Amino acid sequence: MRTITLIEAIKEAYQEEMRRDENVFMVGQDIRGAIFPHTKGLVEEFGPQRILDTPIAESGMYGVALGAAQEGMRPIVDFMFGGFSYVTFSECSVTTGQYHFLHGSPRSLPIVMTAGVGTGQRLANDHAMSIHGTFAHHPGIKVAMPSTPYDAKGMFKAAIRDNNPVMIPWHMGIMMLKGEVPDLDEDYVVPLGVADVKREGSDVTVMANSLQLQHALKVADKLEKEGISCEVIDPRSFVPFDLDTVLKSLEKTHRLVVVDEDWESGSFANTVSANVMEAGFDLLDAPVTRVTLPNMPIPGGYMEDYIAPNPEKIEAAIRKVLA
Amino acid sequence: MSLSKEQMVKLFTNLVRASHYDKMMYRRMMQGKLIGFYHPAEGAIAPGVGACTFLNKDDNLNPHHRGHGITHMLSKGIDVSTFLAEHTGKETGCCKGRSAWHFHYPDDKVYQQSGFIGHNFAPAVGWGHAAKVRGMGQVVMNCSGDGSYGEGRAHESMLMCQNWQLPVIFFCENNGMAIFSSAEEMHPTEDISSMAQAYGMPAVIVDGQDVFAVAEVAMAAIDRARKGKGPSFVECKTMRYNEHDIGTPDLKGWEARSEEEHAEMRKREPVALATERILADGILSQTEIEGIHEAALKEIEGVEDFADSSEISRPSEAELLADVFVD
Repeated sequence: MRTITLIEAIKEAYQEEMRRDENVFMVGQDIRGAIFPHTKGLVEEFGPQRILDTPIAESGMYGVALGAAQEGMRPIVDFMFGGFSYVTFSECSVTTGQYHFLHGSPRSLPIVMTAGVGTGQRLANDHAMSIHGTFAHHPGIKVAMPSTPYDAKGMFKAAIRDNNPVMIPWHMGIMMLKGEVPDLDEDYVVPLGVADVKREGSDVTVMANSLQLQHALKVADKLEKEGISCEVIDPRSFVPFDLDTVLKSLEKTHRLVVVDEDWESGSFANTVSANVMEAGFDLLDAPVTRVTLPNMPIPGGYMEDYIAPNPEKIEAAIRKVLA
Repeated sequence: MSLSKEQMVKLFTNLVRASHYDKMMYRRMMQGKLIGFYHPAEGAIAPGVGACTFLNKDDNLNPHHRGHGITHMLSKGIDVSTFLAEHTGKETGCCKGRSAWHFHYPDDKVYQQSGFIGHNFAPAVGWGHAAKVRGMGQVVMNCSGDGSYGEGRAHESMLMCQNWQLPVIFFCENNGMAIFSSAEEMHPTEDISSMAQAYGMPAVIVDGQDVFAVAEVAMAAIDRARKGKGPSFVECKTMRYNEHDIGTPDLKGWEARSEEEHAEMRKREPVALATERILADGILSQTEIEGIHEAALKEIEGVEDFADSSEISRPSEAELLADVFVD
């Protein structure tokens, strides 16, 4: 085992998969110069044809991936910031998601989409928004987001090997988070669609992901001193979603807090809440409680801190559901 | 580039087939024997035939949406019997009856159709990129109408294809109308192809009613792309005889298109023009021409029989749900 950062773990996944399969290539803007460090040094190893920079033209950029995937290649598209995917949303969401199903075709589109997302940088709405909920809403695309370096490397490798389109953003707030990953000669993947119990507990289940998972773990440490035992579940994937792991946890805790760094309206947190109501109503001793972004554009500067989910809000939700 | 007799016969045959296929689709729509809608190609069948008759099987094609791509696809040599079956919701359809009017012929490199006009411009960059990276010499015939060039995607695509010298032909079938809106009103210049100038891309304008003229220009563009000389722009000046889709009023702006305009357009009907030429040049006799029409009608009869005798696709919701993803 070694200790590396989350962003280094993602880079290792790219490197290993690009060495393994010459059909894998990356397309984005300013990825050669590495606007984010997950692409640093890749152009030196793989050349500018496989680490392909485009003009600021998101539809054309995504089109490289879409057309090349139809031709049997396996592109990774870097949108830089998650919100930038919206510039080419008809292609990367609707057209991509319907491709296999609507054509009744054995073919799908093995496209990996990624981008930095999330609050913490105080960059405001268009640079801070989450996109996992939006992509999860549109059928035909797998959606996942890693919370640790181990998961990041394993999930990105799984995404690149997947024959379906996968949107796998990473949270800028945990970009430099360090954690253990297997040695370089050990090939491993973390399968998509499998949740992970990051901390066992018995009084309340907290579902959280990425930066919010780190917050939830801190809160769990704090509350343990008061004798409150939190089970913390990382969904890891939103599509497919591992509801069973959540229901199994509720058999023990009977209480659920869903933390989701996305707007409340139409959020993935709402989906989980509804799923649990339908499939596990009898397991609940209290209503499912959500911690989300309020329905307002995310302000920049210090004001971001006033509205974003944080340990205090998570703690308050846990106390509420236990009350 | 002058066409051989054999090439002219092939073009004429495909033009006749395209015309009869389009009429068959129109007739079936009026008879209630087609699902959804139909956007007739009548008046604008020559560009697709000219663009596609001499493409190779491994060349990428995005057909124009008019005629739902049938004129282009049959000219490329695609077996389109499953096309009508799809439009009638049958399990033998090219998309297992799931898509109504979309189509998917991946082995012939026609990948997708979409309701998003201009959807072709983004993936065309990827098709061109794949062709260039692999160096197999295939080209991308990227057909769409004057309306589609209002999309920003058209410009992104031209920018990137020219920048990387990709083998993509921007084949604009300018029929002057996008639903009710005229190109004259919606575009600042008379020629859509003038946009190519901004990207340093060579462009040519051709009479889109003359299938032979279109083919000559298309073959030159294909040849150029295949030799690695980069993208080019072909603008066909063509016409739309009918309303946008069957049942929609035939307006220009908010007023009906005039009888005079229709009469004027009908003077340059592509099959009539081609017939005149082919007789004048002594390429085919009247009897041979009649034979080509008969063969096309017989082919279409077979396609209709195939569709009509196929079963309606009736998968369960669970079966459909299990097929949103591949393994």
